[in-house]
Amino acid sequence: MTHQSVFRDESKLDINYLPARMFHRDRESRLLMEFFSFLTRCPDRMSQRVIVTGEVGTGKTVLCQTFGKNISIEVGKKGIKFRYIHVNCREYRGNLAHVLHQAVTVFRSNFPSRGYSAGEILQVFLQVLEEEQVFVILALDEFDSLIEKEGSDAVYELTRLHEMHQGKPQRVSFIFIQRNLLSFRVLDDSSQSTLQRNIVNLERYGKESLRDILDDRVKLAFEIATVSEDVVCLIAELSSAETGNARFGIELLWRSGKYADAQDAECVEPECVRQAVSTIIPTVKRSELNGLGLHEKMLLLAVARHFKENKDAFATLTEVEEAYTVICEEYEEKSYSHTQLWKYLQRFTQMGLVKTEVGSVTSRGRSTMISLPTIPAGELERELYILLKMEHR
Amino acid sequence: MNLMEFEEVFSSKPRMKILKLLNTLGQLNVSDIARRIKINFATTDEHLRVLESEGILKQYLYGRVRLYSFNEASEKARVIRKLIQVWEQTKQL
Repeated sequence: MTHQSVFRDESKLDINYLPARMFHRDRESRLLMEFFSFLTRCPDRMSQRVIVTGEVGTGKTVLCQTFGKNISIEVGKKGIKFRYIHVNCREYRGNLAHVLHQAVTVFRSNFPSRGYSAGEILQVFLQVLEEEQVFVILALDEFDSLIEKEGSDAVYELTRLHEMHQGKPQRVSFIFIQRNLLSFRVLDDSSQSTLQRNIVNLERYGKESLRDILDDRVKLAFEIATVSEDVVCLIAELSSAETGNARFGIELLWRSGKYADAQDAECVEPECVRQAVSTIIPTVKRSELNGLGLHEKMLLLAVARHFKENKDAFATLTEVEEAYTVICEEYEEKSYSHTQLWKYLQRFTQMGLVKTEVGSVTSRGRSTMISLPTIPAGELERELYILLKMEHR
Repeated sequence: MNLMEFEEVFSSKPRMKILKLLNTLGQLNVSDIARRIKINFATTDEHLRVLESEGILKQYLYGRVRLYSFNEASEKARVIRKLIQVWEQTKQL
């Protein structure tokens, strides 16, 4: 009998999938729309340059492509010919001629690719736009690779296009997409001054924002009730630690689903996430585990055992302590106090072995919630058994 | 302008190949056409100029680049494209 996959449509987790709705970027979306609102009123009278910055996985590309889709509809409604063109400069090794050639092929698909300088191809691009009577926004993704390769002259040439075409309609506006503004430092003053006016900066996603993004993708990509809230929370936690990287979280979600399918599981368990993440980030470092004291190893074994035996994504310190007491009995050791164990837990957190956060506040005080985000519980347990056996010879 | 006789224009195999190629790919430059129909640049250029002077093809000049495509405004071009399409469809049956 063939096992049913947890996925309904895994293409919704593909890196190139453009979601219909973008979460927690409304302000930035509106700002972009404002910058380019002239396109719906007087497209020929001006052009605009906007810089979009943000760390990896903060949604720069998706924001711009979604904006491109929306503004194309808005401008089209006014009967104006318009195209949003998105080119990733790194794909063309930052070569301006190749980047511009890619833009030209949107209108002239068989335009020869070799033997033309950036200046020539820029002229061709402008001529084609004139022939087609079309206005464009050229979004140059990973623009820093172009600056690195071509330097000031290329940037200056791009940003002063309107001077080359005086007396004719302004047909090209730009969006420059890059991680930060540091790469602009290498540009000369005049190039810098033509660029740095309109900046849309995307802040890193927080854990809650990542949860919303992942929740949305779960609904689109997975069968109903195959991914629990706890699992989404765990992945959001991990992505949040990875500089708020939504792309990392979506990839981890997909990989966890693959692990679930490979094990013929009916749903994605937290253990699948741990297995998946351990393939992305090297985590279990035997030397680090070896450096732990006897009771530290036993406490960590208690954490591993708890997560192996339970399907929960989070455990309280009390639950881990119970497992630790049993392990102490197995190894005929006297168990340590709650305060000492709490200190050990802090050390594990610093080492990146577990994650802790303050959970609900009860009448007995705050409870510490423990998660084992990056190491498969089974693998950790096996490793600790070996080390404890050596220590107890 | 001296237009050629119908049989003169259509008696050339390279010209037929050029028309078939442009019907499929839309717009190409001279070198690319020459490479694809496997004849030299100068001869290809001659054939292209004949088809252009007959109003069947249109030349687009971008600096050093010359692109050719069917002349959408020409009745002759429309009829030839239709003929090629019908011919190709019949061949597939």
